[in-house]
Amino acid sequence: MKDNIFAELYNKLLGFFRQAEQEESAKDVACNRLRVVLMQDRTNLTPQLLERMRGELVELLSKYLEMDKEALELNLDQEGEQMALMLSIPVIRAKDEEEIEKALAEAEKAKEESETEDEEDAPDDETPEDETSEDETEEADKDEASQESTSEPVADSQPAKAAAMKFPNKEICGDCRECELSDDIECEKKQQAASKKTTK
Amino acid sequence: MSGRVIVITSGKGGVGKTTASANIGTALAKAGNKVVMIDTDLGLRNLDLLLGLENRIVYTIVDVVEERCKLKQALVKDKKNPNLCLLAAAQTRDKSAVTEEQLKDICEKLKKDYDFILVDCPAGIEQGFQNAVAGATEAIVVTTPEMSAVRDADRIIGLLEAKEEIESYRLLLNRVRPNLIKSKDMMSVEDVVEILSADLIGIIPEDTGIITSTNKGEPIVNDEKSLAGRAYMNVARRIMGEDVDFMNFEEETSVVAKVKKFFKGLMGKEK
Repeated sequence: MKDNIFAELYNKLLGFFRQAEQEESAKDVACNRLRVVLMQDRTNLTPQLLERMRGELVELLSKYLEMDKEALELNLDQEGEQMALMLSIPVIRAKDEEEIEKALAEAEKAKEESETEDEEDAPDDETPEDETSEDETEEADKDEASQESTSEPVADSQPAKAAAMKFPNKEICGDCRECELSDDIECEKKQQAASKKTTK
Repeated sequence: MSGRVIVITSGKGGVGKTTASANIGTALAKAGNKVVMIDTDLGLRNLDLLLGLENRIVYTIVDVVEERCKLKQALVKDKKNPNLCLLAAAQTRDKSAVTEEQLKDICEKLKKDYDFILVDCPAGIEQGFQNAVAGATEAIVVTTPEMSAVRDADRIIGLLEAKEEIESYRLLLNRVRPNLIKSKDMMSVEDVVEILSADLIGIIPEDTGIITSTNKGEPIVNDEKSLAGRAYMNVARRIMGEDVDFMNFEEETSVVAKVKKFFKGLMGKEK
């Protein structure tokens, strides 16, 4: 009997605090909405394009890492003259070599299939050749993410192709598979800096 | 002498650009600087009202530009402070009456005789803004902890960054309401600063005294007891290069005794 009362009390208390936690304050709502809207203002990226970019990044990165897809955060910050795209992804676990190979092979296969099936009606996450709306280059990583993906010894032509698929209009650097060759920042340097990459 | 030209801008209207201009100008003059304020809001001038100088205006900036008078003739001296004067905007003309080059030229001339030239910018990002910014090397971006004001400030900051002449800009956060921040109903100072990633030059609390001071045509910095007035005084000191701590308004919302103690502490520090 006594136990029951305490248990009830405990649950009520817990419930009370949880409720308080869950309710988002007006200022948090304002901050979040502002962040999104400013990101759009600063880049001319519409919410649709952002969502697509997010989806493509998730798809690309999940070949190499197991991560919390829902928790992926995209933010644009102004750092002096340059704008930095900050991407934060909680990494659950690094995939091992086999898994990565498999994922890459699957992606390659899917790509070939979609190409043979119908060339006109490309699926959402495959960027068709004539796509020009995305003039931004998206490159971003979290510390761990980039370290993990670069330390993997799968430097065949496969990953480069997989990445090239994402950015069909751009040449892809063979070293890190994520940056453009035309980019004047060197690849190694970029990986050292790791957490931030710029979009222009 | 080579004065500093500071433009006071915001993007959004009604956030307190003109009030800020009037108060910062008055505060700088009170601190012994020679200050001239330029109202560039052609057609919608109000700086004269806030300073209580509306009846003394004979010539405006358009008269100067169109050479109906000399620059010095158009400068209206403040009632109280001889260090302070105003170059009023024309009420009957639109933004195209003065060009960027002409404003630049006026600023250059005034630099020789004054320590500070404050340019009160019209709302918006059109020609009026471009004109006002033309002669300036520094900017104060006025915003409030409201979404629309922050968004517009972000836009303005983007435009300022693209201007080579602007060497620095800082944020003036106006109409801050500590009670609402405490209850998490309003974005905090930190939130706004983080979102805009800009340096802060001042935090001005919401103060009903602003309304009465506007009605009287006397900037609130002249009232040394008012919180907003002291906050503006601090802004002026920061502009002059002093290192002044930001006021902590939150404590003042607690018990009366604490408030008094806090006030005393502040007064002690400032003297």
